[in-house]
Amino acid sequence: MTSARDWRGLLFVAPFLLLYSVILIFPLLRGVWLSFNQVDLFGDGHFVGLGNYARLLNDPIFGTSLINTFEVTLMIVPALTIIALGLAMALNRGSRNAAIFRGIFFSSAVLSVTIVTLIWRFVLAPDAGLLGELWKAFGWQPLPFLSDENLVLPALAITTIWWSVGFPMLLFLAGLQQIPGDMYEAAALDNASRWTTFSRITLPSLRRTVVLVVMLQTAAQLQLFGQSQLLTAGGPSGASRTAVLFLFETAFGRWELGYASAAAELLFLIILAVTITQYWATGRATAAQGGR
Amino acid sequence: MTKRALAALLALLALGSCAKSDHKTHLYLQRFFGECGAEYGGTTDVAKAEGECGIITTLVNRFNADNPDIRIDVNVVAWPGYPQLTAQVAARDPPDLVTMHEGVISDYASKGLVEPVDDYLRTAGISPTDFTDAARQGVTMYGHVYGLPWDTHGGLFHVNTALFAKAGLMRGGKPVLPDTWDELFAQARQFEQRTGEPYLIQSNVGDPAFAARNLYTYMMAKGAVLFPDRKHIRLNTPVGVQVAKYFRRINAEKLGTQNMDTPAAIAAFVSGRGGIYPTGTWMIGSFETEAETPGRPLYKSYAVFPYPRLWGEHVEYVSGHSWVVPARERTPQQREAIARFFKFMAAHNFDWTRTGHLPAFKAVLGEPRFKALPHRADIAPLATIGRPLPSYVLRQNAIEGIVGEEAAAAFTGQKTVPQALESAERRVNILLAQID
Repeated sequence: MTSARDWRGLLFVAPFLLLYSVILIFPLLRGVWLSFNQVDLFGDGHFVGLGNYARLLNDPIFGTSLINTFEVTLMIVPALTIIALGLAMALNRGSRNAAIFRGIFFSSAVLSVTIVTLIWRFVLAPDAGLLGELWKAFGWQPLPFLSDENLVLPALAITTIWWSVGFPMLLFLAGLQQIPGDMYEAAALDNASRWTTFSRITLPSLRRTVVLVVMLQTAAQLQLFGQSQLLTAGGPSGASRTAVLFLFETAFGRWELGYASAAAELLFLIILAVTITQYWATGRATAAQGGR
Repeated sequence: MTKRALAALLALLALGSCAKSDHKTHLYLQRFFGECGAEYGGTTDVAKAEGECGIITTLVNRFNADNPDIRIDVNVVAWPGYPQLTAQVAARDPPDLVTMHEGVISDYASKGLVEPVDDYLRTAGISPTDFTDAARQGVTMYGHVYGLPWDTHGGLFHVNTALFAKAGLMRGGKPVLPDTWDELFAQARQFEQRTGEPYLIQSNVGDPAFAARNLYTYMMAKGAVLFPDRKHIRLNTPVGVQVAKYFRRINAEKLGTQNMDTPAAIAAFVSGRGGIYPTGTWMIGSFETEAETPGRPLYKSYAVFPYPRLWGEHVEYVSGHSWVVPARERTPQQREAIARFFKFMAAHNFDWTRTGHLPAFKAVLGEPRFKALPHRADIAPLATIGRPLPSYVLRQNAIEGIVGEEAAAAFTGQKTVPQALESAERRVNILLAQID
């Protein structure tokens, strides 16, 4: 009887497992296999073992794209987390205005990357762009955000933060609404300052949400692609080429499928390592505080 | 009862999902040039259509109207559409007709992914000798013709003649363009001093084709062999270094605009904020519209010419659009329909030249109606001085991206000239070495 029930259970999950295997597990394994081959999009190719990986490690373009990816992720994730938390705290109230502003701040999240980059091109372009005109009004020389090697990654970071702030804000809002009101009442009775209330009640209560936001955003920004492709085409001189843009160019521009697969596998391992490290580090910190 | 009702419902659904056969031969055409169905979706009057999108949409509508036994189903892809085509080919479901840049054909032809079109041309009564030299070179490879050439396009000097007049650089109603590099710098300085505007408007940001086109053109003019064989590029040569240094000097002396991408450069030119905008044939229509609109900065102040000869031979790097036929199973009716489509498009090559592109057919170059189009007499030499890259060079699009990126870095001073050219050579040679 138990055995029959188990069999029926397997039947229920079989369609999902089949679909999951076909559209996720098989491509993943196929990608790993391709990364060991020198193969173009339409050729049979031949096995090169770790050759693609060795080539990647000696490829300065890939190296630069990885450094760019880490830099832009570091620019985005802390700032995005702080801004989203600040917005959530400011808008965590039942008033009509707060609801309107929640909608406004979330609205950028529904735009496609094409629209977002178009909007920010109009803001950032030194000739006739919004910031350029503002700079000129003050008598300053407009900053070439999209053509200066030192400004282009901050430009991508600003664009991404504006685009991505909505969802983390919602997560923080949900977290804030889970904090019991009597904790704040007790703090008020104790005459606690706003900073003490924030650092002793709000922030610890949101610890899990903060960890979630940081992990999700880190994984997402390490895969940053559209902004770089559409706003700067990876330029100037590769200064804004991210790892995913590199593998897109390699696979679909140069048809080097094996090499692009190796880059994708390396990026996958990096994202996995970063995520596990974050999870482990935050888990240790939580345990040290008594598991709160 | 319930079972019967369910069966009836299913049967109705099955019947309802059946499309009625129209007894036509269907061809699936995939193209870029944009989507303008709202304006031209039902139009068949080709003469009244404007712009690349309007003209190509109307041409297909007209073909469908003139050939009631054939139906062309169109799929519009974002420029240039090769990732989609690649995915379709990989899925063994490619379209019947595709727009393709001539520099890209060799990638697909070398793998047998597109058909030679010699038989289609023969059936349509078209001879490759009808094509212009640039167009024929662009579609001929491995002893076959791999596409119906549709135009030749390349870089042009779009000139603001009002500012040129202010700079004292007009003679007999024509702008004075330089004959040597020294003249270019002298005229640029004179222009800047007298007008207060930059001589050149440049799209150095996010536009690798701009830098690659300039480097290729002036290296070719000096007789440089860019690709000595199918596995190597040669850029870091005395000629390559000299060309890069000249463009670097333009930027160093602030004789050209800095930090502009393509939309910014277009906006600057139509606003009268520079003398020459070196960009492609495809902008002629838009700039001519500005030149015909009273009150606009370009009103009656626009001229256009091929890149000037600054040294060596007067040649210019060009490419072209063509119609190719991806390899797949087809019925004899579909093959005949493709031949008829080729015949129709060849007969309407003039209509396409109203976009600003040059014709792919020699006969159109000689037609009075072509010569009567604005500026065509001035730009027609491009069809004879145009030089595509050799067809044995694969991945020309990717190579242009790499060369353009490194050349732009050299021109703008982000890298030293030898460093940038060496890097371009190394990256392209690695790419070419990976191709079996």
